[in-house]
Amino acid sequence: MIASGGRQLLAAMNPAAAAGGLAPGMPLADALSFLPGLATRPAELAEDAAALRRLAEWCGRYSPWTAPDGGDGVKIEVTGSAHLWGGEAELAADLSRRLARQDIAHRLAIADTLGAAWATARHAASDDAPVIVAPEETRAALAPLPIAALRLDPALVQGLHRVGLRRVGDLMAMPRDALARRFGEEAARRLDRAQGDLPEPLSPLGEVPTRRVRLSFAEPIADPADLARAAERLTRDLVTRLAREGMGARRLELGFHRVDGRVEHIRIGTARPSRDPVHLARLLIGKLDTVDPGFGIEDAILAAFAVETLAPEQLGMGSTAAAASGTAPLFDRIGARLGLDALALLEPRESHIPERASRAVSMTESAASKKSPHPPIAVAMAPSLSRTAGEGFTPQKLPRPVRLFAPPEPVEAFWVLPDDPPFRFTWRRQPHRVAQADGPERIAEEWWRPDGQLIDGHGDAGAIRDYYRVEDETGRRFWLFRAGLPGDPPPRWFVHGVFA
Amino acid sequence: MLPFGVKAIDRALPGGGLALGALHEILGAGADEEDGAAAAGFAAGIAGRLLAVDSLQKQPGAVLWCLKHGDLYGPGLAAHGLDPARIALVRTTRDDDILWALEEGLRAPGIAAVIGELGRLPMVAGRRLQLAAERSGGVALLLRRWRTGAQAEAERARPSAAVTRWRVAPLPSVPEPDEPGIGQPRWRIELLRCRGAEPAEWITEVADASGVVRLPAELADRPAAPQRFAGEPREWRRAG
Repeated sequence: MIASGGRQLLAAMNPAAAAGGLAPGMPLADALSFLPGLATRPAELAEDAAALRRLAEWCGRYSPWTAPDGGDGVKIEVTGSAHLWGGEAELAADLSRRLARQDIAHRLAIADTLGAAWATARHAASDDAPVIVAPEETRAALAPLPIAALRLDPALVQGLHRVGLRRVGDLMAMPRDALARRFGEEAARRLDRAQGDLPEPLSPLGEVPTRRVRLSFAEPIADPADLARAAERLTRDLVTRLAREGMGARRLELGFHRVDGRVEHIRIGTARPSRDPVHLARLLIGKLDTVDPGFGIEDAILAAFAVETLAPEQLGMGSTAAAASGTAPLFDRIGARLGLDALALLEPRESHIPERASRAVSMTESAASKKSPHPPIAVAMAPSLSRTAGEGFTPQKLPRPVRLFAPPEPVEAFWVLPDDPPFRFTWRRQPHRVAQADGPERIAEEWWRPDGQLIDGHGDAGAIRDYYRVEDETGRRFWLFRAGLPGDPPPRWFVHGVFA
Repeated sequence: MLPFGVKAIDRALPGGGLALGALHEILGAGADEEDGAAAAGFAAGIAGRLLAVDSLQKQPGAVLWCLKHGDLYGPGLAAHGLDPARIALVRTTRDDDILWALEEGLRAPGIAAVIGELGRLPMVAGRRLQLAAERSGGVALLLRRWRTGAQAEAERARPSAAVTRWRVAPLPSVPEPDEPGIGQPRWRIELLRCRGAEPAEWITEVADASGVVRLPAELADRPAAPQRFAGEPREWRRAG
């Protein structure tokens, strides 16, 4: 029952009610006059849609191309996958059997076009007899169907009825131009699509994987050890394919299709493309505890996304931490548990700006940035800070702290002469007396702002940082800087880091 | 075994150096306990030398450094002997995740050392790490950082499964005669606890770019006995 324009309309009914003469869209008042004892409940459209979506997802066992269709259908592209089941008839039988086991009333049709399948499923198929339309029979199969089978607007269907057109065949007999002229382009287009004269794409549910392997179980499995074995087996199958093609995958999705029609997914990502079966299987198995097998799992499908070429020689080499021999599996395990963003490299940069000279970049970002090197930032001064264009850090001549605060922490400082380091400063509410100091090392930073905020791009011109290394009486060594030139407003002081 | 290359220190350690296949704790001192800057410099030196040992065996490795703060600075670590390009950082917000990552790192090939920055370290977690280190022969360095005095108190008193516990404090530098400003920076390195050895304490120069700590020139000339805590009789006197 659904509320529409102040009236209660029937949305759906059980077979008994349908036999009593009720139909979807009938006002509740009329329905009650047919069947006074009718029990009604409000329709839960969102629930229905969610259930349909789950069903479409479950149908992924037959093909990666599945999607809910309207409010009461699921479309599946079986081209290219029917042979895995021994043919279309066998596929339809398997699907029908499994739906029946889940108590899902259904009508199935397989046809050459989406339109023909839609029409035959709704108007030719019966509850336990799937319709399979052979390619050359499409027109013949459509002709006897009512014109509603063409997915036309109900108003248009009524209009066609009024002029005596009741069957699809009646429309087929008309010249296409006349049809389009008299009843609109829509009617003609629907007919074209149903007959395969116009292509109709199926937009699948979610991303379509590039490689897929499937494993079906004669008896549903639920034991974690069995799931692990299935994951291993599928990984082996997938890796065999990837190896043959010289590819590696960066994202895998393992779907467990439960007997009750739900699909449990686990997803893993790797920092670099991989086709190491042991490693990938271990990543998948590490996530198996999130899988609820319910009353059992009848299919497992492993899909690979983000597949990239992976030459054999790329399987583990390089010079930095990310590529240290044999570490890739470790990084992938960490990425799988803590997220790939948790992994970072201290990437050296061509910059004299302290916070840019070394930046923690996530490993995935780092791998990507290797392809387009960061344009070098001109080193304006302090030649000892400049680096050769090569990679890696060279030990600095000028001392640098081991801890760098981002953002720099403001301090209250006292100094005598404009170019002096402070003789006293208060940081984190602790007073420090300066015993020794080195500096200043001037770092001109045109995109530095005196309010202590770093911005990307170009901010206040002329802002300047003068860095001092100061040692307090206890021997702690700090990297302090003065932001701005002496004058009005007075410069401000920050602790940027602590030396070891 | 990783010798420090400083006779005074190596002699105080069973086996003549830092034990491999072991968990070592490194504490900061005083106000530096929160930032752990000196501790990080000391750990960087050790990790850098472990990497160098690995390289000799033609296995270019990496160091896994797990922490909650984002304050590690590459150029500064390089100055104490650890090439930042060889560090894989694991940044997370939970102690448990750090412990897990350390254990995984110990088991993995290609990792010369794991370093974790932790406030709390329950005994059980410490023992797990120690066991993992023993099994793999790897080195785990735990930098203990704490925010509050109360936490510091509690954690310092907690028994630990680590093979050694160190404390590294920055000391005032020694001005050089002709140069104004900060001279050669120094550390006080304390071996607070060590399985099978006595506590000891040394004053050293900070680890250099090859990760080596040195006794200051004027101390190195003396008989190489560990510096004792103030007030304790010197070894040569006791032996006397």
